Amino acid sequence: MIKHHPTFELLKSFVDGELPASLSAGIAIHADMCPTCQHQIAQLTEQVAEANFEFEETFLDRFIVDEGEDIADMPAISFEQMIDNITSTDELVEPEVKTPKQVTFNEQSYVLPTALNNMQFSKTANIGKLSRARIQLDEDEIHTSLLHIAPGGGVPEHTHKGFELTLLLEGSFDDENGHYEKGDFIMLSGDHQHHPVSTEGCLCYTVANDALHFTQGINKLLNPIGSFIY
Amino acid sequence: MQTNLLCTKTNAKSIKMSNEIDHAQLCLKLNAVAQKRDKQAFTVLFKFFAPKILRIARGKFPNEAQANEVVQETMSNVWRKAHLFNADKGAATTWVYTVMRNVTFDMLRKIKGNKEDNLSDDIWPIAESMVSEDDCYDDHLAQDNLLNVIDSLPEAQREVVKGFYFMEMSQEQLAIKLNLPLGTIKSRLRLALAKLKVQLGEDHD
Ligand SMILES: [Zn+2]
Repeated sequence: MIKHHPTFELLKSFVDGELPASLSAGIAIHADMCPTCQHQIAQLTEQVAEANFEFEETFLDRFIVDEGEDIADMPAISFEQMIDNITSTDELVEPEVKTPKQVTFNEQSYVLPTALNNMQFSKTANIGKLSRARIQLDEDEIHTSLLHIAPGGGVPEHTHKGFELTLLLEGSFDDENGHYEKGDFIMLSGDHQHHPVSTEGCLCYTVANDALHFTQGINKLLNPIGSFIY
Repeated sequence: MQTNLLCTKTNAKSIKMSNEIDHAQLCLKLNAVAQKRDKQAFTVLFKFFAPKILRIARGKFPNEAQANEVVQETMSNVWRKAHLFNADKGAATTWVYTVMRNVTFDMLRKIKGNKEDNLSDDIWPIAESMVSEDDCYDDHLAQDNLLNVIDSLPEAQREVVKGFYFMEMSQEQLAIKLNLPLGTIKSRLRLALAKLKVQLGEDHD
């Protein structure tokens, strides 16, 4: 059962379309597996839509005194022309049929969530029981990947300076805070330390905005490869 | 059978300080566009939505041409994809909002990252963007209804929360519009959010 969900603030920003693609996709994937969040997103969307399209006259008149300019009257854009232009064709657009992508890790193939359909993946890199395929979203310091942990593998204890999202797509893992299963949305901030281990193996969608920083003993030697994993 | 029976009202409670949206009317027009390619109906929708979309887009795109493009793209999708709207699943406003948000998201990504991958429809599929009103979650989530919770806030906090979350005004803008010190806006917002979190049952870790 899913126990870890995005916060209310994240869901709200998701609905507003204000999160980067990496995190938006993460929330969409989680919501596909989590009826509770799906429902909350539907409600939020309805309310934000209502507010966006309703406030115009009254709320705006009360609060926004924008040098008295009325956007509807501005000459820069001709609504009549736009209407003619748009309705000049009667063609309907059918939604594209979505065929989910598949990936193979450790000789096992996985069907990926449709939210990742149009994303480009780099070649898989392997280190021990970890395999990682970077997803090319080009969001500056934010790195998005598929991370596969083979049975018995794990990520050495580490912290990170920014945030780290781990979304379990298949399988399960454990860390000092508990047990995580398919669908769990685990968002950690820089002050958390953890050491995930996967007995049965797992596939995760990960988003992080900085390299990992290994904290313990000999693992500190791993710091140069911290950026490998996330 | 009356056609407007096919149009469900939005679940969202109307926000008291504003005009009610005529949801049944918008829904009928959207269906007329879908089924009859009705240009008059589209014009009604256009006049209702376009100025609002333009205002919202101007908040997100400093460039006027880009804001106009959001209106053009959104309304064009409304015309060409109206048949994907399902009145059983929610209000026309929700559907149009989804179309607008997706257009905006893809455009921002194109401008900022120079990426033309149009991911929005994979993230928020417009054909299935709404959850049915009669699904089993309604009952026990009824009290989670965000607007009910917001409406239970003291007036001063409610105003700030609505401005901040629904109008997407900055704290600074709100301070000016409400003629209050910035500190007051911040503390009202903080108090209100704390209450919302408790009432929405979010677990703190
Ligand atoms: Zn959830």
